[in-house]
Amino acid sequence: MATADNAAFASFGLVDDPEVAAPADVCLLVEGTYPFVAGGVSSWVHDVIRGHPELTFSVLFVGSYPGAHGERRFELPRNVVALHQVFCQETALPPLDGAGRAALREQIRALRIAIDARPEPSRVLSGLERMHVQGEAGAEVLASLACNDLTLPELLHGRPSFQLLTTIAERVAPDAPFLDLFWHYRAIFAPVLRLLAAPTVPARCYHAVATGYAGLLAALWSHRTGRPLMLTEHGIYARERDMELSRADWIRDEAGGVSEPRSTWAPRISPLRRLWSSFFKALSRIAYVQARHIITLSDANRAKQIADGAPPEKIEIVPNGVELQLSAVDQRQEQSEQPSEGRPGDAISLQKRRLRVGFVGRVVPIKDLVTFIRAVDIALNDVELEARVIGPAEEDPGYATRCRQLVSRLGRSESIQFVGPMPPAKIYGDLDVVVLTSFSEGQPLVILEAYAWGVPVIATEVGACREMIEGRSDEDRKIGASGFVTRVASPKETAAAIVRLARDVRLRWQMGAAGHRRVTTFYQRRDMLARYRALYTGLIESTERI
Amino acid sequence: MAGIGWKLQRMIDHGSLSGTIAAYLTGVAVTSAPWLLTTAVLTSLRLVSRHATGDFVGVERFLTVVYAITVVLSAPVHVVVSRYTSDRLYDRHLERISPPLRRATALILVGFAAIGVGLVIGLRLPLALALVGAPLTAVIGAQWLMLSVGGGMMSPIVLLRAFGLGAPVSLVAALAVERAAPAGGAGYLFGFAIGQVVTLGLLVRGVARALPPTSDESARLYPAFVEYRVLAASAFAYYVSIWADKIVVYVAKGGDTAAFYAAIAAVAWFSVIPAFAWIYVQVETAFYQRFRSFYTELEAGAPLRELKQHAELISVEARRILRGAAAVQVGATALVVAAAPRIVDVVALSPDATPLFRLAAIGAGLQVFALLEVLLLTYFDLRRDALVICGCLLIGVTTLTAICCAIGWPPVAGHLVACAITAVVGLGLVRQRLQTLVLDTFQSQPFGVA
Repeated sequence: MATADNAAFASFGLVDDPEVAAPADVCLLVEGTYPFVAGGVSSWVHDVIRGHPELTFSVLFVGSYPGAHGERRFELPRNVVALHQVFCQETALPPLDGAGRAALREQIRALRIAIDARPEPSRVLSGLERMHVQGEAGAEVLASLACNDLTLPELLHGRPSFQLLTTIAERVAPDAPFLDLFWHYRAIFAPVLRLLAAPTVPARCYHAVATGYAGLLAALWSHRTGRPLMLTEHGIYARERDMELSRADWIRDEAGGVSEPRSTWAPRISPLRRLWSSFFKALSRIAYVQARHIITLSDANRAKQIADGAPPEKIEIVPNGVELQLSAVDQRQEQSEQPSEGRPGDAISLQKRRLRVGFVGRVVPIKDLVTFIRAVDIALNDVELEARVIGPAEEDPGYATRCRQLVSRLGRSESIQFVGPMPPAKIYGDLDVVVLTSFSEGQPLVILEAYAWGVPVIATEVGACREMIEGRSDEDRKIGASGFVTRVASPKETAAAIVRLARDVRLRWQMGAAGHRRVTTFYQRRDMLARYRALYTGLIESTERI
Repeated sequence: MAGIGWKLQRMIDHGSLSGTIAAYLTGVAVTSAPWLLTTAVLTSLRLVSRHATGDFVGVERFLTVVYAITVVLSAPVHVVVSRYTSDRLYDRHLERISPPLRRATALILVGFAAIGVGLVIGLRLPLALALVGAPLTAVIGAQWLMLSVGGGMMSPIVLLRAFGLGAPVSLVAALAVERAAPAGGAGYLFGFAIGQVVTLGLLVRGVARALPPTSDESARLYPAFVEYRVLAASAFAYYVSIWADKIVVYVAKGGDTAAFYAAIAAVAWFSVIPAFAWIYVQVETAFYQRFRSFYTELEAGAPLRELKQHAELISVEARRILRGAAAVQVGATALVVAAAPRIVDVVALSPDATPLFRLAAIGAGLQVFALLEVLLLTYFDLRRDALVICGCLLIGVTTLTAICCAIGWPPVAGHLVACAITAVVGLGLVRQRLQTLVLDTFQSQPFGVA
């Protein structure tokens, strides 16, 4: 049962034992991203580490289970002194035979006898009760969790743990299928206990690149060691989980059967979904409470964080930044992208060429590739298009297959191509428009990269997308729109924007130029790194005073 | 045992007296037929031996030992095979029943034939008796196996037919062969064996018809033995406890006293037949339905408050069955106690046996009550608790019978006290477990293991 617990924490490569390793200046805690998964957040983390060569970093990767993420997708920079992994779940064990089942049964029986003999109530259990029954997630809850006085067997087989489950059932989810609640209870809390038991990675400061499990672990370690915590949220973790939960087909809403997979992201609240949602919100609040600085990317996200319990005075907006691709823009200009006034023939020739539209990102449900495909399908009725899906598809093969099947079913296989991941230099130089149809974003690097190449963007109104397209401040807005903002899951709106850009070459060029001006003025990598350098320095200096 | 449970329920739901009687007769057949038949045969043998010639005493002793040994030694196998069969019925892999059943049957036949040879040698039986006795031992062992498997799979009618035909054939054939051929005890034993073979044949045919034509030859029974070893140990302890007092008396007081004591106990055991049948029918119908509805609701997504209601209904049902079994047994025991002098006379025991017979009847009733407690705990898969009861019974019966023998009290008193203590211990365990049914159901679940 608990045989794989030893594998719950694994470090490799640079140090073996996190507790005896020399403390890094910064311990970066990431969940399901760097360095094993490609994507915007991973690229950002990599960039931040590379951008601070004077600091040492240790990286703590919170994964789902050992082996789930394959090989590293990034070469670790030289200033990374340690890479650790902690897993929320253990590796699945093979089915047991009769002897195995009998032995397990005896193990559980012995455990239950031992657990019932425990003299003192668990503070962790009390903290979990306050989180889920009283709705608290403050410093006292964190202090209770930090005690780490509840073992996994006690959670799984103990009477007090079952008492908490029944309390949750009676007071929080009285109509929830109890069998499901039982397994969800285990699925929620078992990872928490594994995290609580993970050995602390020493560092002069902690930097969590999300709330959630990574944020919880960072808050715990910060609490235990007294070292400061900084939190950067790209997307709003709890909100993203809410969206996933609303269409999760592994949650049974009512008695009688598992709900059908949702085709839309319409919110749906059931007791079990509420339980998970409140759990993720509590994780966020715990991280917010412990963090000294909360960094976000946009005003929109700041407002959401405040609504979710983040103290406003801690929040600071530090936009992402990219390296400018001046040569690339020059190259595009040389390709006569800019229509010449008084030379209508140029514009006509450009209009005759098929518009090259790109979806750049991971092929996963949260990016809502389905809307992109449907939008292209609608737009193709009016204009000539060449659409490309550029990004890795292995993270959710089932979803990728469904998307390919949709393209095939629509008869658009020639117009919409899946080209896989490509380096930025090869992506944007060959695109006229970038389209983002995500359900959730922070401040997408894709948009900044597109701007750096002078490519206009059509994006859904999520995260910082509107600010990035229409401008955040008055000065920013004066630059003009660098694309179109559309509603989430609205293929018609996205299609209309594509058609408009396809037909109006001048507008396309103007928006591309505005994007380039915008990124040049507000989203330069050097500015972002300078701000983080100042934040890190402040945190580290404060620990030296300790 | 779900299959036969529904069949019994259909008989009862039919609403006719005959349907209800058929259901309870099925209970009698499944729970009591083999030993009932044996006891009847032994009693008949005792009656016949007063007027006929031949080595009837040797036959009686041999059959008693054969049944005792087959019951005790095959009990763990039957429990495991029965549980294995139930599991395959539950997971709808009937094709995995036949191969291990064939192997288990072969093992039982060979094993008990060997044991039979050992017995005839040990008891120094004449060659004629030995030639029939060894195969008969194997047949009786295989009968038990088929009964344990078939009980859950085939129609109760098939069971009733098997024993209903086998028993009279056995008796008639025994008498006929004994009279037709001057073979004495061997002739009687041969005739008796013919009836047992008929029963076994009908049981085998019934089981074979209930199994699918295809089979998975890779299915193995050994892992089930490991998994259900606690259940097997419980069954072994319980069946040994039935014979432990007789063995203690044999060792302490000698063969004649032991034979006398065994005869009293065997006749007193008849008083548990109504309770056995009642328990069997009630557990397999009303209790099973309550039990099943708890898990059906659980799987269908019932919230906690509904599960608690269902758990309470199980608890109520369990208490009802315990009370009902007690009432049926008290009635039967009271009848037997009142009619003790007459019964003692009919079975040709000494009139001095009457008070001992009454004590034995009360002890048998308590032992059945303990068995019901074991059944209920086994239903909830509380194997250790079931083992505690069976172990308590075995240790109690052995120890207290020995003490009674040592201090000059009638051994039956030790048996009675041991059964009473076990019944009380079992009642406490059942009550305790019923209170924590929901907790135990969930917190015993493993995690992260397929």
